[in-house]
Amino acid sequence: MQFDLSPNKLFLLDGAMGTVLQQKGLPPGGQPELLNLTNPDLIRSVHREYFEAGSQIVYANTFGANALKLEGTGYTGQEVITAGIHLAKAEAGPGQFVALDIGPLGTLLEPMGSLSFYRACELFADMAVYGEQAGADLAVIETMTDLYETKAALLAVKDFTNLPVLVTMSFDEGGRTFTGCTVASMARTLEGLGADAIGLNCSLGPDRLAPLLKELCENTRLPVIAKPNAGLPDPVDGHYDMGPEAFAEAILPALEAGVTIFGGCCGTSPEYIRQLKRVLEGKSPYPRHYAGGSFVCTPTNPLRLDGVRVIGERVNPTGKKRFQQALLEDDLDYILDVAIQQEDAGADILDVNVGFPGVDETVMLPRVVQKIQSAVSLPLQLDSSNPDALEAGLRVYNGKAAVNSVNGEPESLERILPIVKKYGASVVGLTLDKRGIPQTAEARVAIAKRIWEAASALGIPSEDIWIDCLTLTVSAQQEQAAETLKAVRAVRQELGLQTVLGVSNISFGLPNRGLIAQNFLVQALAAGLTLPILNPNQKEMLDAVSAFRVLSGEDVQCRDFIARFSGESPAVKPVQRAEMTLEDAILKGLKTDAAKLAKAALETQDELSLVEQRLIPALDQVGEGYEKGRVFLPQLLSAAQAAQAVFEVIRACIAEKGGTPVKKGKLIVATVQGDIHDIGKNIVKTVLENYGYEVLDLGRDVPPETVVQAVAEQGIRLVGLSALMTTTLPAMEQTVRQLRTLPEPPATFVGGAVVTPDYARQIGADYYAKDARQSVEIARKVLE
Amino acid sequence: MKPDFEEALRYLGAPNAPENLRQQTAQMAENLAASIQPRYTYKVYDLEFLPMGPSLRGAGIVLIGASAAKMLAECTQAALLACTLGSPFDLRLSALQARDMAQAVVYDACGSAFVEAGCDAASAELAARFPNRYLTDRFSPGYGDLPLSLQPSICTALDTSRRLGLHVTESFLLNPIKSVTAVIGLSDQPQKARIRGCAYCHMRETCALRKGGKNCAI
Repeated sequence: MQFDLSPNKLFLLDGAMGTVLQQKGLPPGGQPELLNLTNPDLIRSVHREYFEAGSQIVYANTFGANALKLEGTGYTGQEVITAGIHLAKAEAGPGQFVALDIGPLGTLLEPMGSLSFYRACELFADMAVYGEQAGADLAVIETMTDLYETKAALLAVKDFTNLPVLVTMSFDEGGRTFTGCTVASMARTLEGLGADAIGLNCSLGPDRLAPLLKELCENTRLPVIAKPNAGLPDPVDGHYDMGPEAFAEAILPALEAGVTIFGGCCGTSPEYIRQLKRVLEGKSPYPRHYAGGSFVCTPTNPLRLDGVRVIGERVNPTGKKRFQQALLEDDLDYILDVAIQQEDAGADILDVNVGFPGVDETVMLPRVVQKIQSAVSLPLQLDSSNPDALEAGLRVYNGKAAVNSVNGEPESLERILPIVKKYGASVVGLTLDKRGIPQTAEARVAIAKRIWEAASALGIPSEDIWIDCLTLTVSAQQEQAAETLKAVRAVRQELGLQTVLGVSNISFGLPNRGLIAQNFLVQALAAGLTLPILNPNQKEMLDAVSAFRVLSGEDVQCRDFIARFSGESPAVKPVQRAEMTLEDAILKGLKTDAAKLAKAALETQDELSLVEQRLIPALDQVGEGYEKGRVFLPQLLSAAQAAQAVFEVIRACIAEKGGTPVKKGKLIVATVQGDIHDIGKNIVKTVLENYGYEVLDLGRDVPPETVVQAVAEQGIRLVGLSALMTTTLPAMEQTVRQLRTLPEPPATFVGGAVVTPDYARQIGADYYAKDARQSVEIARKVLE
Repeated sequence: MKPDFEEALRYLGAPNAPENLRQQTAQMAENLAASIQPRYTYKVYDLEFLPMGPSLRGAGIVLIGASAAKMLAECTQAALLACTLGSPFDLRLSALQARDMAQAVVYDACGSAFVEAGCDAASAELAARFPNRYLTDRFSPGYGDLPLSLQPSICTALDTSRRLGLHVTESFLLNPIKSVTAVIGLSDQPQKARIRGCAYCHMRETCALRKGGKNCAI
């Protein structure tokens, strides 16, 4: 009999496994999954008791049966999972089902930890396949706190099995998981990825979980699961404070909120399930009130599209030499910086386009997505015409993304929409086809309808379909501006869809472009544009959006507008700082001033002498102050960053001229294998870069082989290694030793909290750097 | 709960920082406390003294070595404690590192001070629950000869992955970054402070303050 999750029925899951095992005399801790093989009768008895108490689905004892946790136990995941499923199946009668239970891997994923998303998918895929082979009726993914890890597990189950899948995560009372994921982000992401039911388990009792369950029900159309703890544990003795009857009574608000699948987590036992069955007997599901709407998100940033939302356009190489250079040189830090500037300027969503000749988008797009998501919380819109690149990017994206774009051509729709559907993304539909952009609004709306129909046929909800009616240059085709606005109005009013429009192109070829663009933006917003694509660094554009939000009533009580402009007083002139020199700006760590002064200086001075005669002496002065204890680390770094702003001016200047960049020599920095604390290494990198060295940052937790390979491939002459803990010092020693076996071994310098000059000598490192400042001295000696 | 920004300044090696850096640190401490609060959990065990060191009954943990034996010599029970700022701190720190390293190091120092404040709060709660007992100083794996290799069993005993989102890596590092595990002894006799000061600090050989004849006062 196949498991079927009807939304019109209430379902009863089981309660805790660990709690019952402890009640039966087992000590806590250890690896309870091994009991499937070492004490099968005990595990069977727990399943039997849950079925007898009324559970329709029991979770097999496979929660932690992943290859990472089983390492060193002498058992394989396949053995443990197969035995676990068989034990539960042996107790299941008619109408009773067995779920493969998938818990967290027990280690953090990148970027917080060092496990890659891809590896996590593989580990979960193994579990899913063993579970299905052993006869599981469904899979459950539970107790998750990281949306990224949850996505890896869900993709694994969906890609490698045909099992229905339930997903539950753990939240604190504030409505966030340990990693900061919100309820709405969870709901919309997992529904998009094709979960069959979603819910909350563990962490709190049913009373405190009720408000979060209500929020969850409002954010999904899927059946919702509640599997709370038996209240809260006592910190001293570990006992949970809610008895079976109180627990069951406290679940009723969840039923009223729309929950249809119930069970228990830590501290619950078969008696709790029996009581749940008693209070739910004869009850029916309550009606649900879905309040979804258009939405994209990252785990920490749920973004409802219920007003004007600005899409930043700057992560795009078109017409930007510096960006193109960064793509070709694999300078992801620069690309991240472009993203960061837009977030800080006030964008709501970022468009990400890395298409350029010589760049493999299928490789680059997912890397850039991960890089941006490591430091920017905005939702992303992946922009490519290459379906493979889009799929690769959507796969690693953490949250619910948007795709830019499909058009009215059947080929585009057939290739891209299934990917959009699979990853639960929103999609931009361009109102053009192989005949080009229609000249009339009516014809564009007709294409919009075609796109809408094709997307709907695949089950993509209307709220996820965004239509771009396309901007044409007004100086070339003047009558088209009005047609575009007319089409936007029709799509918004008649079809009720979100509308996207790139506004910058309108003013091409005209003087005072900003004025035309700003006016067009305002008219388009008035016509019903909801998602303008623009350059958020252009203040007048965001000013216009801010004013529009006031006039449309979206900015309630004008709060955002006041916050944006209250600091400004046009009557007061900016303070003149004519006397400030470039050196002053660097010493004081004033980035913007330093960049401006450098631009001015470059009119009379060449790049190299600016660096050698002004920048470096200023930095040295700060460095000396630091050594003497007059300047502190944050100030040293501020100065370094001001210098970085100057270097960026120089790089842009050289890129414009098409020359080769000023480079003073290249070195590698890395935090050694096993070590995940990398702020020290990053400090060294910041300071060295701002002395003009090219720093190849291999990151943290770097295996010795990776360092050796990078040195050999790139002919590096200096390597800096950092370690924070005594336990990772052997990895430092190992790396130094392996580097010395190279035909031309590089010089090495080491540092970090527990590294001493003696230790550096002992492991054969050439230099010990007590701080970032010393690393500069070392780099000078070795590279100059 | 708020981090002590004076302590953060000491971590920055800048106890006599100029006014603007003091203000920046104080402001950062405020911002941190507004967005993140430490989480902690603890559990109390009966002690059994084995030849290898004190053992926590029921947890299967022996606190190997002379340091723990000395710290707990007059105790009959000991608490295991874990405290973390969680991974949102790590995310914010990497976001800041990508924007402004100067701010990032200040944030990092505030985080260190904050997780200590969390441990202090947990210790105070523990003391309040055992009003007639005396608590030893808090000490952690890595202190004296107490090995870092105890981290996995301490985290398993406290179920920190599930309760706090706190994990241990293969090289015994705690993850998220700003996390602490510790042991606190419970005794019927007053316990003297033993472990503060340079002699017990793992930074003693490289500490810049100590070289200048000063200390960080912790």
